[in-house]
Amino acid sequence: MDLKRLELARLYNRFGFGPRPGEFAQALKAGVAATKQSFLNPPLIDSGAVALPVVTDLGKRPEPNTPEIIAFARQLRSQNEGIELWWLDQMVATNKALQEKMVWFWHGHWATSIGKVNYAMPMLKQNETFRKYATGNFNEFAKAMFMDGAMQIWLDGGENTLKAPNENFSREMMELFVLGVNRYTETDVKELARAFTGYQVSRSSGVVVYNEKRRDMKSVTILGKSAVMSPDDAIAHLVSQPNCAQFIAERIWYRFVSSQQPLPTNHSMVNAFAGREIAPVLATLINGTDLANPQYEIVKSPVEWFVGVCRALSLTPSKLDSFNKLHGYLEKLSQVPFSPPNVGGWPTDEAWLSSASAQFRIAFATWLVNQADLSAIEAQVPASRAAYLADLLAVVEWSPRTAFALREVRDVVPRLVILAVCSPEYVVSA
Amino acid sequence: MNEIPKMSAEQLGMSKYTRRQFLKFSGAATAATAASVLSMNDIAEAAISRPLPLGTPILVVVSLYGGNDGLNTVIPYQDSNYYAARPTLNYKPETLLPLTDGLALNASMTGIKSLWDAQKVAIVRGVGYPKPDRSHFSSMAIWQTGSPQTHLSTGWLGRWLDNQAIDPMMAISLGSVLPPLLAGAKQSGSALPLGGLAIPAGAIGKACLRLSAASQRDSKLSAAAATSMRNLFSVSGSVTPVLAQPAPVADDLPTVAGGNAGGDSNLTQQLNIVAKLIAAGAPTKVWSVSLGGFDTHANEANAQAALLGTVSSSISKFLSQMKASGRSKDITVMVYSEFGRRVKANGSDGTDHGTAGPMFLIGDRVQGGMYGDQPSLTKLIDGDLAVTTDFRDVYSSVIESVLQTPAEKVLGNWSGRVKTFKSA
Repeated sequence: MDLKRLELARLYNRFGFGPRPGEFAQALKAGVAATKQSFLNPPLIDSGAVALPVVTDLGKRPEPNTPEIIAFARQLRSQNEGIELWWLDQMVATNKALQEKMVWFWHGHWATSIGKVNYAMPMLKQNETFRKYATGNFNEFAKAMFMDGAMQIWLDGGENTLKAPNENFSREMMELFVLGVNRYTETDVKELARAFTGYQVSRSSGVVVYNEKRRDMKSVTILGKSAVMSPDDAIAHLVSQPNCAQFIAERIWYRFVSSQQPLPTNHSMVNAFAGREIAPVLATLINGTDLANPQYEIVKSPVEWFVGVCRALSLTPSKLDSFNKLHGYLEKLSQVPFSPPNVGGWPTDEAWLSSASAQFRIAFATWLVNQADLSAIEAQVPASRAAYLADLLAVVEWSPRTAFALREVRDVVPRLVILAVCSPEYVVSA
Repeated sequence: MNEIPKMSAEQLGMSKYTRRQFLKFSGAATAATAASVLSMNDIAEAAISRPLPLGTPILVVVSLYGGNDGLNTVIPYQDSNYYAARPTLNYKPETLLPLTDGLALNASMTGIKSLWDAQKVAIVRGVGYPKPDRSHFSSMAIWQTGSPQTHLSTGWLGRWLDNQAIDPMMAISLGSVLPPLLAGAKQSGSALPLGGLAIPAGAIGKACLRLSAASQRDSKLSAAAATSMRNLFSVSGSVTPVLAQPAPVADDLPTVAGGNAGGDSNLTQQLNIVAKLIAAGAPTKVWSVSLGGFDTHANEANAQAALLGTVSSSISKFLSQMKASGRSKDITVMVYSEFGRRVKANGSDGTDHGTAGPMFLIGDRVQGGMYGDQPSLTKLIDGDLAVTTDFRDVYSSVIESVLQTPAEKVLGNWSGRVKTFKSA
């Protein structure tokens, strides 16, 4: 295997959403070290940034069978569509690949679904928080996520009161967000829930307010420390635990390197997180040796696959034929932005490789390829089209099986492109 | 470029010519794997050409996601501690469906109550595992892998699959994402979305079949990607025509506007498809269906009753549909959830994550009745019910009695059993 192609393909496919036409061939010339630097030191301003959609506070849902409900439902649907298309467009258009990939990573980490939140406004605000802290300070990030309206709605924060503590948020804060499962006791969960009491959230706007009457003012004991703790104090205490560094390194490993094999012990990412800054962890991973190790393969999730195809074929999600069709395909592939299946985030690898997803991927690819301008590929002589596609899609190499399948259809360019993007070599990031 | 979109091996592109070209190109070593593409294709007509012999036991696993509140499912309605723990989240005794031992079913579960009266329902009480994990994800992973102590990447039914002949139709999960339950090391179950699968037709289908051939150069995940596409041709070939047929009629249920009553929930739809495929003779021994929404942290009563009503009515409808096919006596339905909920209600008329819960085994092969001890409401462990039966006891019995496989192949030397099945 060509290790230079392997490292570059992983940079583009895993630490970004795939190359745009010409980028991979250019990177092959520029070399691995220079390309790594371009990922780690992107331009300050994202020249590809897509303007935020206009999302307003729609207020309380009107009663059923009132004249207001129809207008309300229409606006709600249009806002929900709006944020979905905006984010997909942003993933396709961004020039800050790693930053956008980290926003996507954090969306799967602090996984919150519009299915329960209902309103677009809190979901968009949460996405802006992911953007703000994507490669920033994790302590500040975690504190901001406690005050995040969508998260408070999602994990029943408003139900957590002095009289009746609700452990949903406190448990997930430790298990899924900061420390990892079994790195705390059941007592810690209950105590943290007490430290989190007293906050309420407006569903439609996502504004979180403090309500002293619901607050448990007494001392709590969390992971061996007893004190009267505000949510910020408690979170800082969790984030300062050595297990936090271990856990965040594990999660980054799981999504960027391998969900099949565990994080090697004493991985340098853990130390790189000593100051709880996220950027040095990514630099350590990217500059390390793991990217050149062929054993760490990973399956592209459906959104990663779709965005990658759009970038390669210069398609814009909001300009595709029909939002409903696009949304339908993502739904059938079981991955719609803002709608993770549960608080654990998206599944990985084999979960995306069912016969059903194979079918939908072929149909989706056919729909996309039929809307793309393929003239650059048609301009290649048939014999060099497969190699051209390998660079266009950042595929390390075609297997003899796929090379044969591509060769059989190389005169019919749309079919050739459908096959290439549905091939095991593209669906799986080597 | 008018290709014929039919499903014989030749027409799909695996004619001798193509296959020979393929073998020549990828080297002799792939001969065996290329042949297995063809044998996969043979399965395309499996449901019709090699139906499951009548009398072969079939397992239908119903996973309830979110943590079903067992205490409001099988309700200790004569125990004053129940009312004390849940002053505003309890049920009036006269509304419930009494069973035995001071227990009653949730009022919405009339279908399962009728099956209980016919002695076709085994309720295993207090089921769980040691050191209960209150996280949805960890606990569901524990139930589906069948391994509370060590993390396994295979499901308990996946390991059963590993002991079966390679056959993508052996175990099928409804829905487009395969649950870990059916993930095996050698072969995994197939996923079937509600709309059924459609084979890509014509030239693109032919091309995709080439693309899905096994390659010696495939890594583990690339091989899985190729296999999933290959199975699309074999599973969908047999399934799609069957799905076009009307569902079997359940003669003994009331009809509403020409169809059977029982709601139109996602679970009902899933079981409807399973009913069609079993009736058609699909060579499938394990089916997996699911229903979500049981994570009732707030305002539980109505939400849970609606969900339990769906579970109950869709299962009773399903078993009734199977009667005409002659296979209803072959079927065992197993219902579980990742955990029960706290005994004490929270302040939002809901319940937080707890531990043990009841499991249901339903069917003609089942010896109806109560199994396992009802967890005490006074001897709680840190506010939670004690686990009185390990789920591996139940799995072992299912593996042996329904799947007719030694349990040790799946669960190692686990010795516990719950004898919920009639002796053969």
